[in-house]
Order: sequence, then C-alpha cells, then structure tokens
Amino acid sequence: METEQKKAFEERLGLRFAHWNAPFWEGTQKGELRIQQCRDCKHKMYPPRVYCTRCLSANVEWIKCSGKGKLYAYSTIYEDPPPRVAKFLSPPYTLALVDLDEGVRMLTNIVECNPEDLKCDMEVEVVFHNIGEEVNLVWFRPKA
Amino acid sequence: MSEKWKYSRQLAVIGIGEHPSNMFAEKAPVELGLYAIKQALEDAGISKDDLDAILVHVILADRFFNTDIAWARMVEELGIGGKCKTNYMVHSGGSSASNMLQTALGLVATGSAETILIMHVEKLGTGLPSEGVRDIFATHGISEEWEFLYGYNYNGIGGLLTNRFMHETGTTIEEIASVIVSLRKWAALNPNALLRRPLTVEDVLSSKVVATPQTSRMCNIVCDGASAIIVTTAEKAKKITKTPVYLLGMGSLVTHYSLMSVPDMTRLGWQQAADEAYQKAGVGPEDIDIAEIYDSYPILPLIQLEAFGFCDRGKAGRFVYEGNTLPGGRLPMTTNGGMLCQGHLGAGGGTAVLVEAIRQLQGKAGERQVENANTALVSEVGGQYMDAHVVILGR
Repeated sequence: METEQKKAFEERLGLRFAHWNAPFWEGTQKGELRIQQCRDCKHKMYPPRVYCTRCLSANVEWIKCSGKGKLYAYSTIYEDPPPRVAKFLSPPYTLALVDLDEGVRMLTNIVECNPEDLKCDMEVEVVFHNIGEEVNLVWFRPKA
Repeated sequence: MSEKWKYSRQLAVIGIGEHPSNMFAEKAPVELGLYAIKQALEDAGISKDDLDAILVHVILADRFFNTDIAWARMVEELGIGGKCKTNYMVHSGGSSASNMLQTALGLVATGSAETILIMHVEKLGTGLPSEGVRDIFATHGISEEWEFLYGYNYNGIGGLLTNRFMHETGTTIEEIASVIVSLRKWAALNPNALLRRPLTVEDVLSSKVVATPQTSRMCNIVCDGASAIIVTTAEKAKKITKTPVYLLGMGSLVTHYSLMSVPDMTRLGWQQAADEAYQKAGVGPEDIDIAEIYDSYPILPLIQLEAFGFCDRGKAGRFVYEGNTLPGGRLPMTTNGGMLCQGHLGAGGGTAVLVEAIRQLQGKAGERQVENANTALVSEVGGQYMDAHVVILGR
C-alpha cells in the first residue's frame, strides 16, 4: 500500500512522500483518522514527526482518533488554488484549523457547509474524501 | 535581566537607500540593488571602499540572482574584492533584516567587520509569471502533505487569523478595514509607495472577497523594489554623520513553523519579543514616538498594537478606526504605507519598515516626517508568523 501511495503522491500530485507518514494515509483508506503518540512520554502529535517533539524518542505509535473536534478558525478562499491542488479543490473552498478531541490542531477543509454558517468553536466531524484510488483526504463537516 | 543591555547604542545606522516599489519589468535585480546601494553610500557620505562586509537578503523571484548574491556578486559589482572581509545571506523571510542587525552587531562587537552593507532586492512584481507568484505563496514555508494539499496559502492564513481574532475580541470588520485607510493615508505621502490613492472603509470592504473576511484591498500586493542599509560602530558613526540612528534594543521569539502548532494565534510571540526589546532598550511603550509595524495583512498590526502595550486587548481596532495611527495622530504607524500599500517585497517587507523608521529618525521623511521623532519601534516576522521580532531604534 505504501508503494501505491508513494506513486500517487509523486506522480499524480507532484508531491514528495515521506515514508514515516504511510500509516496516516493507510488509516484514511480504512476510514480511520490517525495521529501519533509517543510510547515513552505519551505526547500526542499532528502533523506526524520523525521523533517525539517533546522527548525526541523514536518510540512513536499511531492511535485512532474519534474524528470529532471543534472549529478553531476558518477562512473561505475565493481564489484559484495552485494547479496541483485544483484537481480536487475549486473556489470557493474553506480552509480550517480544527482542534481534535485528542488535543491536536489540524489544518483541513470544511465541506458540506454554507460559508455563512461557519462559526468559531462549532462542532465538526471527519469525512474522508477520495481524490483517486490510493489517496483519501481528511476533511471535516459540521457535526450531524 | 534587570540592567539595560550592554550593547544598547553600540551599533548605528549611517545611511539608507531605497528604490521605489512598483513594477519595473525592464530593470534587472542587480540594477535595482545598485540603485539602493549608491543612495545609501551617498546618504552615509562614505565610499564603497569603506565597506568591509555585505549581508544579503533572499530574492524569491530570481533563483539565479539569489545564488549570485549569496556567492559575492555584489562584492564584485562594487569593486571591493580583496577588501571585503565577508559576504553572506541571512534568511528568515520577513524577519531577515532584524536578524541581519543582530548579525551585524555581532560582527562589529567582535571586530570581525566595521562597516556593513545590508542589501535587499525583490522582483516579485515582474520577475515571474503570475502562476509562479501564486505557487510561491502556496508553497514557501508551507508543508506539502499537511498544508499545501488543502489549498493553504498566505491570504488564507490572514483570513484564519482575522476570523479567530474577531471571534475572541469582538473587533469589527470595519475596524480591521480602517488599518488599510490609515496605511493609504501614509502611502499618499510616500513617493516610493505603490498604492497611494486614499480609500474609505467602505471602499476597502466593497472590493472583491478573497479569503474571508478579507477583501482584495485587505491583501498585500507584490512588486519590485530594493533597499540598502549601512551600519557601523557608534563611535565611527558619530564621526561620519550628523544623523546616526542607534540600535537601542531588540527581542525575538520563534513560536512555531506551522500555524497548527501555535497555541494562541491571536497573540503569537509578540508580547515576549517586545518585553525583551523594551527591557534591553530601557524604554516602554509610552516612550515610542513611531511604530513601524509589519503589516502583511491588516490583522497583524492589531495583534501587535495590543501585544506591544499600545492598546488593551480587543481595543486596537477601535484605536486605529478612531484615527490614532494617522498622520498627526497619537501613534504614527507604518508611515511608509507598509506591505499593504507601499507594496509586498517578499523578505523585504520587514526591511522596508526598518528603512522607514531610520528615515524618520534621521529627519529625512519629507512630507510625512513625524515631528520630534526620537524613538521608534520596528517589528518584523517571517513565514507563517513563526517568529516575532521587535527592534527599538533611537537618535
């Protein structure tokens, strides 16, 4: 699976693929939002890191998140995104920082919501968006 | 640290130069740079042969010239090969100039060099096709997998900060738009500025929405330009010029790389940076005559006015809306028109406000000269507002 994703990132999206992130992308294929946790100091991390950013331990595992969180901040963009992103995002689209219940903050997109209805601190839930066979993006929508 | 900084008043600026900010398709980066350097040498009243170090900024729009200047092209253009002791690039994006002052202080304090040229050139206005500029502002300092994939860009970063700040403080969009009104009033008095036509709050808010709640007039515009600053020891500066401008104090704090990692983006690291700078300079906000504040989006000056102690939390918007930062106001702010009106010069946005603070303290700001300007605060920041830098200068 890692090889397919690497190919998708590099050839289809024109992006570099870092091998230590593979479990994140594999999780999205299974409908799981995963973040890292240090086995030694229990620090939770997103985005993924090579070592724990609190104790620099390499003893880091992946944990499954609830997929629930709160909207910390948002901005709806009315400009064209760069060509590599324009394949799956077109204006207007909403950028968001979501505070996951697990205590990390994630940059993402909010979908299935009228931009006028967005409010800071509103509850949101994860939704996986397939942009090709191998890659699911992690987006959020207002909690049902 | 309770005593004043021992390096306060040890480094002095003796000359500045600036090429106007606009679109100059026919001019090469080296021409823009040399224009600013010659002006700075004339302003200082020294010969190019007096320079013994050059610190250069990154140029985002020209990767070849970027390597050229890191690899001593300007040493050769100025004919100081065999005399100049060191030439290198200091790069932290928008806070580069502040880091260069710190570097220059180290060079003069250790006797490694005596008279240092700081140079900046940018060609973002005409040096690249528009897709290239768009790509820079969606990729530079932005993580490919965790940010770029979501259509992240700097206008969006400004929008995220603005919405959260409004939510937490109750600041209104009209108050935020009034930052542009203030900057335009100053830019109208600045012949080097790109956008000089006065605007009302209504004009700002009626322009096209770009990244909510920001309209196009609340977003910066990239252009071409250049600047140069010459610094030396305080002792030497007094002999060379009648208008030396001294470095009184500086403070800085790197808080994050990605906006995901800063706990409170309505404050960032500004208060800690300012506290350090005030303490080193032995001054407080009440002593500041001019605030030359980094302004890539109008939310930035509001966050900083509060963190620097000029306004209480949530009151900066009202402070600007009521005209306190305008020409003749209580706290003249970003008197060149800033990145939002003089123009966005890449890593030189912070350099331009630094040049303006020096010009004001030299008493050479022409129509927009602030009377009795003795002490100025300058702020700079790079990347996703990763590092707060505050510099205090005085006559």
